[in-house]
Amino acid sequence: MTDLDDSPGTPRVDDVLPPPAAPPEPRGRKASGSLSSDAWRELRSRPLVALCAGVVLLIVLMAAVPRPFIALLTHDSGRCELADSRVGPSLDHPFGFDLQGCDYLAQVVRGSRPSLLIGLAVTCGALLLSVLLGLLAGFYGGWVDSLLSRVTDVFFGLPFVLGATVILVAFPSHGLGAMTLVLVGLGWTTMTRVMRAQVIALKDADYVHAARSTGAGPLRLMVRHILPNAVTPVVVVAMLNIGNVISGEATLDFLGVGLQYPALSWGLQLNAAQSYFLDFPHLLLFPALFLSATVLSFILLGDAVRDAYDPKLR
Amino acid sequence: MGRFVARRLLYALPVLLATTFLIHALVFVLPGDPIQGLAGDRQVPPAVLAELHRRYHLDDPLAVQYAKYLGGLLTGDLGRTFTGEPVADVLAGRWQVTVRLGLTAWFLETALGIALGVLAGLRRGGWADRIVLAGTTLAIAVPVYIVGYLAQLILGVRLGWFPVSGDQDGWPAAYVLPGLVLASFGVGYVARLTRSSLLENLRADYVRTAEAKGLSRRRVVVLHTLRNSLVPVVTFLGVELGSLMAGAVVTEYIFNLPGIGQQVFQSIQLREGPTVVGITTVLVLVFCLANLVVDVLYGVLDPRIRHD
Amino acid sequence: MTTMPHHRSVRTAALLAALVLLAVPACTRAGEGDDSPVPQVPGGAFSVGLTEPDHLTPGRTTSSYALQVLQGLFDTPVALDPGDGHVIPQAATSVQSPDQRVWTLRFRPGATFHNGEPVTAQSFADAWDAAAYGPNGWEANSYFAQIDGYAALNPADGRRPATDRLSGLRVLDPTTLQVTLAAPFSQFPMLLAFPAFAPLPRAAFTDPDGYDRHPVGNGPFAMDGDWQHNQRIDLVRAASYTGTRPATADAVHFRIFTSKDTAFTELRAGHLDFMSTVPAARAYEAKRTFGKRYSVRPSGTMDYLGLPLWDHRYANPDVRRAISMAIDRGGITRAIYNEVHIPADSVVAAMIPGHRAGACGETCGYQPVKARELLDRAGGFSGPMELYFANSDPTYEQWMTAVANELRQNLGIRDVTFRKMAAADLGPILNSRKTTGPYRQNWVIDYPSMQNYLAGLYNHDNRMGWRNPRFDELLAKGDAALTRQQSTAYYQQAEDIALAELPLIPLWNWQDQSVWSSRVGNIVTDPYVAGLHLDRVTVRH
Repeated sequence: MTDLDDSPGTPRVDDVLPPPAAPPEPRGRKASGSLSSDAWRELRSRPLVALCAGVVLLIVLMAAVPRPFIALLTHDSGRCELADSRVGPSLDHPFGFDLQGCDYLAQVVRGSRPSLLIGLAVTCGALLLSVLLGLLAGFYGGWVDSLLSRVTDVFFGLPFVLGATVILVAFPSHGLGAMTLVLVGLGWTTMTRVMRAQVIALKDADYVHAARSTGAGPLRLMVRHILPNAVTPVVVVAMLNIGNVISGEATLDFLGVGLQYPALSWGLQLNAAQSYFLDFPHLLLFPALFLSATVLSFILLGDAVRDAYDPKLR
Repeated sequence: MGRFVARRLLYALPVLLATTFLIHALVFVLPGDPIQGLAGDRQVPPAVLAELHRRYHLDDPLAVQYAKYLGGLLTGDLGRTFTGEPVADVLAGRWQVTVRLGLTAWFLETALGIALGVLAGLRRGGWADRIVLAGTTLAIAVPVYIVGYLAQLILGVRLGWFPVSGDQDGWPAAYVLPGLVLASFGVGYVARLTRSSLLENLRADYVRTAEAKGLSRRRVVVLHTLRNSLVPVVTFLGVELGSLMAGAVVTEYIFNLPGIGQQVFQSIQLREGPTVVGITTVLVLVFCLANLVVDVLYGVLDPRIRHD
Repeated sequence: MTTMPHHRSVRTAALLAALVLLAVPACTRAGEGDDSPVPQVPGGAFSVGLTEPDHLTPGRTTSSYALQVLQGLFDTPVALDPGDGHVIPQAATSVQSPDQRVWTLRFRPGATFHNGEPVTAQSFADAWDAAAYGPNGWEANSYFAQIDGYAALNPADGRRPATDRLSGLRVLDPTTLQVTLAAPFSQFPMLLAFPAFAPLPRAAFTDPDGYDRHPVGNGPFAMDGDWQHNQRIDLVRAASYTGTRPATADAVHFRIFTSKDTAFTELRAGHLDFMSTVPAARAYEAKRTFGKRYSVRPSGTMDYLGLPLWDHRYANPDVRRAISMAIDRGGITRAIYNEVHIPADSVVAAMIPGHRAGACGETCGYQPVKARELLDRAGGFSGPMELYFANSDPTYEQWMTAVANELRQNLGIRDVTFRKMAAADLGPILNSRKTTGPYRQNWVIDYPSMQNYLAGLYNHDNRMGWRNPRFDELLAKGDAALTRQQSTAYYQQAEDIALAELPLIPLWNWQDQSVWSSRVGNIVTDPYVAGLHLDRVTVRH
């Protein structure tokens, strides 16, 4: 068998996953529900998970309704005065001011929205795309698989920063939506491979054969029988991926090819801070702290979810 | 095995073509005039503009440009940069920087990652395990440019332990710090991967058998478990070597290492089509090769996998 | 090609072991940290931080990084005094004209290139012809536009010219060159200090690519080995040099950096001797760390906002004035540039002869309330305002953000967005006049004259779409005037028109910050074309 053609070429996220599970016993909804509830119990019992969930919840709230946070925590006048540029933290302005003389806490709070939006939107988009493509490639095999696998190779081989830079420089007036598309375009390959491997492992399972013999069409087979059992590992990879996407988006902002004024983001703030951080470390510190904490929380949450769904590691 | 390798190489061909065309289209088809961009505020006289456009095939339609490019490629001509330097020369000059940086990072990653992973795996649940887990997670989560600037500031400027930047003469001292920064991400993954793989194998039946036979734990780990545990680690390290060779844009930028990543980032900004396409072609090629090597190694390490 | 990287990596891998064994850690260098004056003795080598130049053939570059290297390699006909910019003889002993149109250059006899070839009037004529010949595509082409016959070498329709010689150049004898201009041009001698006017040996034409890697010049320093792209350029004192400015040091090593921040950090760590491009963001740090070994020098470069006059929203000069008065130049230069750049109060920089402090008056001051009134009286501003700039330097985005904030806060323009793009994209948009909002550009001077700003920024092809016959007339009168005083007076009147109409908004003038190690002394820099005077630097060794 040389079905391993692609599966070893697994990058950072899914390598920690177990290899495609052996074809599981056909399960009704109830049985899979019990696996999730096991996992849920496992998750709740860990304090670190609670902490990470807390951080993520806080960031989500900040992104959704920044105003109360700003009103509560600082005295933001809504104006940016160059006279205040780079003034350090004080009681009235806990994070001080940024280069433009805007209240930094307010800016950092507002900066959470694009990071989070992109992290979630890109992951959802990539998840949908990869589930679809992985399902098609794995189920039909043959030329469909070959074609999709080669296309995956093309995108997989493009280094992320370079690929994104080429596209974003080519379309200079891009907004949040375009950024999301670009990141989805470069971020679907890993999950597609995981999905494809899962589908290949499942499509020869006895229960699938059984369903096929009862006259189920390909669509029904894919959607009703294979998808529910194949999707869990992909979702876990997606969870782990959110943090990476947020970090990747910030990198592009940092390099000056990402979002643009009037958008705010932690990456942009880090970009502005980079040359002043020796004299004004607070400019680097606050967005770096928020960005790192968010990414860390998502990664740990993803880790925890993976552990919970992977019985072997329990 | 031979057939397997041949088929993989055959697969790589359409991938290479598609990738170069994709990049080519993005770089060339868009509005913007690289020649005028180079001149800044001074307007380029029409005669000069016409000549330079002709020299770099800028007025041809995309398909013609791409055909000319492919034609050149077959004769070993990667085109020229807008300062007239052959792209092949640019690549040759920059490649060794990237290879040095990549190898430095890769060795650090391998050595540190496996050592930490084994340590954590053998002391599962202990302090060492927790510290390794926390440290590696942090290394994965904190963006590389933050790590880079902090390392440069603290280890380079304040403590003066390392040179803060380097060019080709700086080898090897100037590559240690950027190598470490570049590796920080991968160390985390290698350590975790080694740890989880080791744990999985320690529970395996053959380990229990070996222990039941009265072999010491150390012997069991070294002789039996480690080799099997390293299969996924080798996979990762192989792919990682490929992506490290692809140039580290951010690390090279922060530490001023004139490698591939830095060059291609600059060239993108300057719309230097031939350079961007040339480098990307080579990068994808390296990546495909790395994947192939990994697949072959995979079979060597794990006897259960055979390529026929 | 496909086997190349593989091959190289194998070779590199083989080299690795050898290098590990051979690598010697950078040794501590003599005199590091010694702050006593550097003795004025010849000899020694020093290193200079540089950004990769585009070319090293004089006519093929206008990049200031290349000019810094060419300062050591070539003697141009004249040089500009680093103090006040007046013309001093260098390769030429005299440059004279009875009518500002026909100029006679007499060159120093007996001078040679570094390869022994004599430098003659023909060497100059050949170099100028090559640069002016359109199909060569040399970057400094437009510097020769005033010389008679330039048009014939650069047909507007892109056809191949019938000749490759400038009809305005006549070699009278081996040391005399007669230059006829298309129109009188009083500032011509200043132009001759630009490296594109340096002579070229025959080798430059037989093997242009080889010559670009290893230029053979007539200056106090010669190339020591080829230009190592993106790494280094090494110069060594030219033994054959007989000119006016022999080198003090034995050798100069240019080290090429992509990031000026890194170069600065390298200098701080003691691995570099001089750099003149300290990023403005590091100003406080540089002053604190280097003290007496830090200098800031005004440069002629000016940042400005050009306005698209074809867009009816910007057609009223009052709107343009309102935008100008809403921008806090002082605040921006303080916040973004750490007070390194100087708010502009005129089109020309303060160092330029003929500059008048406050020529721009209230228009260039920060007057947020008056600005709003002015805008309201002019009928306000409707629709989105798009700000165009290139991504070539990160500070552009920073100060553009400040400008955008001010336009929103002071003028109430709600929708201000960025059009940040590669310089390669911005150039054509500006040239084809497709901008829909203010754009950021800077003017870098070629020679220290008001004329250079006025002709360069407001010429007939200007990107603002601005035309003013009275301005053109005054500029021509200044070019033809026989004395410096007369031309300056005309130029100033022209400047007044440009400032009253305000098709472009002057923002600030750059200053260059230099820092150097305690190993080097007699650091003389000038803001014109030369940069650091390499020949004068002394080294503690």
